[in-house]
Amino acid sequence: MTTKHRNILTRLLAAALFGSALVTLAPPAQAQEIQLTGPLAGAPATRKLRLHREGRFELAPTVTFTLLDEYQRTIILGARLGYNFTDWLGLGLYAGYGGLLQLPTSLAEQIQEQNQIRITAATPPPASNALNTERRLTAVNLGPDFEEQLGGIDWILSPQVTAIPLRGKLALFQSIYMDTDLFAFAGPAFVGLTERADCTDCVSDNVTPFPMTSRVAITASFGLGFNFYINQWAAVSWEYRFLPLSWNRGGFDTSGGGKDEEFPDNQISSADRQFEFKQLMSLSFVVNLPSKTRISE
Amino acid sequence: MKKSRVGLLVAAALWLFPLHAWAQGKAPAEGDAAAEGSAEEGAEGAEGAGEEGAAPAEGDAAADTGDGLADICKIDPAACPNLDMDKEAARQFKEPLYAVQQVYALRARRFEIFPYWATTLNDQFVSHPGFGGSVNYYITNVLYAGLDGIYYEPFNQIKDFNAQVRRAARVAVPLVEYQWAAALHLGYVPAYGKFAAFGDLIFHYDAYVLGGVGVLSARPIPVIDPDNRTFTYEPELAFTAALGIRVFVSRWFGITGELRDYIFQERRENLTIAPNPGDQSTWVGDTALVNNIQLQVGASIFIPFSFDYRLPK
Repeated sequence: MTTKHRNILTRLLAAALFGSALVTLAPPAQAQEIQLTGPLAGAPATRKLRLHREGRFELAPTVTFTLLDEYQRTIILGARLGYNFTDWLGLGLYAGYGGLLQLPTSLAEQIQEQNQIRITAATPPPASNALNTERRLTAVNLGPDFEEQLGGIDWILSPQVTAIPLRGKLALFQSIYMDTDLFAFAGPAFVGLTERADCTDCVSDNVTPFPMTSRVAITASFGLGFNFYINQWAAVSWEYRFLPLSWNRGGFDTSGGGKDEEFPDNQISSADRQFEFKQLMSLSFVVNLPSKTRISE
Repeated sequence: MKKSRVGLLVAAALWLFPLHAWAQGKAPAEGDAAAEGSAEEGAEGAEGAGEEGAAPAEGDAAADTGDGLADICKIDPAACPNLDMDKEAARQFKEPLYAVQQVYALRARRFEIFPYWATTLNDQFVSHPGFGGSVNYYITNVLYAGLDGIYYEPFNQIKDFNAQVRRAARVAVPLVEYQWAAALHLGYVPAYGKFAAFGDLIFHYDAYVLGGVGVLSARPIPVIDPDNRTFTYEPELAFTAALGIRVFVSRWFGITGELRDYIFQERRENLTIAPNPGDQSTWVGDTALVNNIQLQVGASIFIPFSFDYRLPK
C-alpha cells in the first residue's frame, strides 16, 4: 500500500468516524424521548388528595323519606354511624325511627272517606241497601278507621359495608368547588314493622279498630349515595336505599284462598303480605372525626 | 498525514462526547427518587419542583452554587443572598391552582343526541315506561336548547295493586295511560367535575337542569264502566323540568341519567255512571294536575365528534 493510498484510507476512516460521531450525537434526543413520555410516567393519576374518609369516624344525622307508598308515607329520623378503614372502604350502621311521622296518602284518605260513608249508612243497621251491602262486603278488610290499620315501618337497623369507588371534585357555577365521592353500601337489615294482626274471624263491628301487631323482618338493604364535602369535617350526603320487604301494607285480605292461594280467604295471615322493593331517599349532614383531613402522597 | 491523525483524534473525541452527555442525563442516579419527586411536584404545579430537581446534584452542584454565591458576595456584599434554607423549604407556596383546569369535553356549538329508556318513579297504579330521545344544541358551553320526545303507548302497565284495592275496599282508582310526549326546552349546565375511580381512572361529568313546554297525549283507562266507555288519546299542555348528570366516557360519548317531570292536567274517568251510560259527555270526570316523574337513562352522543380548544392548556 502506497503512502498516498494510506492517506486516503486514513482520511476515509477519519470521515467515517466523524460521520458516526455526528450520528451518535443523537443520544441527547434519547433523553428528550423520556421527556416526551413525561416526567409523570408511572406517577399516580391523582396526588395530594384530601383523605376525607381514611381513618375517620362519621356521624350523620339523617332524615329518610319512603317513596312510591300506596297508603302511607313514612319519614324516618335517624343517623348513620361509621368508620372508614381506607378512603374507599368503611363499615357502618344505619339506624332510623319511623314511628313518629307517618302520613296517609290521598288514596288512603279516599278509601276512608268511602268507608265512613258506608259505616254511617250502616249504623244502626238499616234495611238492606247498596251502601250496607258494600259495607258488608268490605267488613273483613276495613275497620272503622282505615288509617289505623295501615302497615308501618317503625324502625330500621342496618349494619352495612360501604365502598367508595369514586371520588373527585365538583365545580358549581365556576365559583364553588367541593370534594365529592360516590359510595355504595350493602348489608343485612332488621326492620320493625307494625301490621294488622293475624285473625280467622276478621269481620269488623264498625266500632272496634282491628288489632295490630309488631314484628321484626330480617332482610337486606343496599343502595348508593353522594357525599358533598363542605369543609374538612362536614359534608352533605344524599343516598338512595332499597329495602326488599314482604308485608301487609293495607291490612287487606288479598290472598290465601282459591287457586294458588291468590284469592281472599276471609282471614288475615302471612299469605296476605305483598313483596316490594321499598325505596327510600335520605339526606344527611355528615360530621367526620377527627376534624382534620390528611393529605395523600 | 499529521492532519489526518489530528482529524482522527477529533472524530474520536466527538464520538465519545455524546456518551458523556448521555451519562450526565442519567447521572442523578442516587437521586432518582428526588428526580421523581420533582416530576410529581410538577404534576401539582409546584414551583419547588425545579429546586428539588437540582437537589440530586448534591455535592457538586451545591459546591458550585456555594462558589457562585461566594463570588457574588465578594463582588457586591449588598447583593449577597441571605437565605434561611430551612425556612424557605417550609414556606407555603401560594401558586394559582385551578380546580378544573380545562373542560374535558367542550359542548359549545355541538349537537347532542340523547336516546334513553324511561321508567316511572311516582305512579303506583300504572307504570309508564317509554323509549325516547332528546336532540340538543349547545349555544354556549353551558346553555342549550333542545327537543325531547318519548313514546309510551306499548309499555303502559297496570299494577295488580289496583285490582286488589277494588276487590278489598270496593274503591276504584281512576287510571290513566300515556301515548307520547314532546317538549321544547332550554337547559343550563351549572356544575361539572371529575371523579377518580379507586384513585386511578379519571373521568369527567357534568350536571344540568332544564325547563320547557310541550304536550303529553293521554287517556283514561275505563275501570268504572268498562262495558260502555272507551277513551281516545288527547294531547294535553305539559310543562317539563329535569335535572341530570352526564358522565363522559370519551370527548363525544357519555352515559346520562336524568330525572324529568312532566306536569300536566290529567283527564280522569267519571267515578259515577250516568242514567244514560252511552252519553260520552258524562264519561270524563275530574281533572287533576299530575306530576309524571320519570328516570331516564341513556347515551349522550356529541356531534361533531371532535373540537378545538380556544386557548392552550
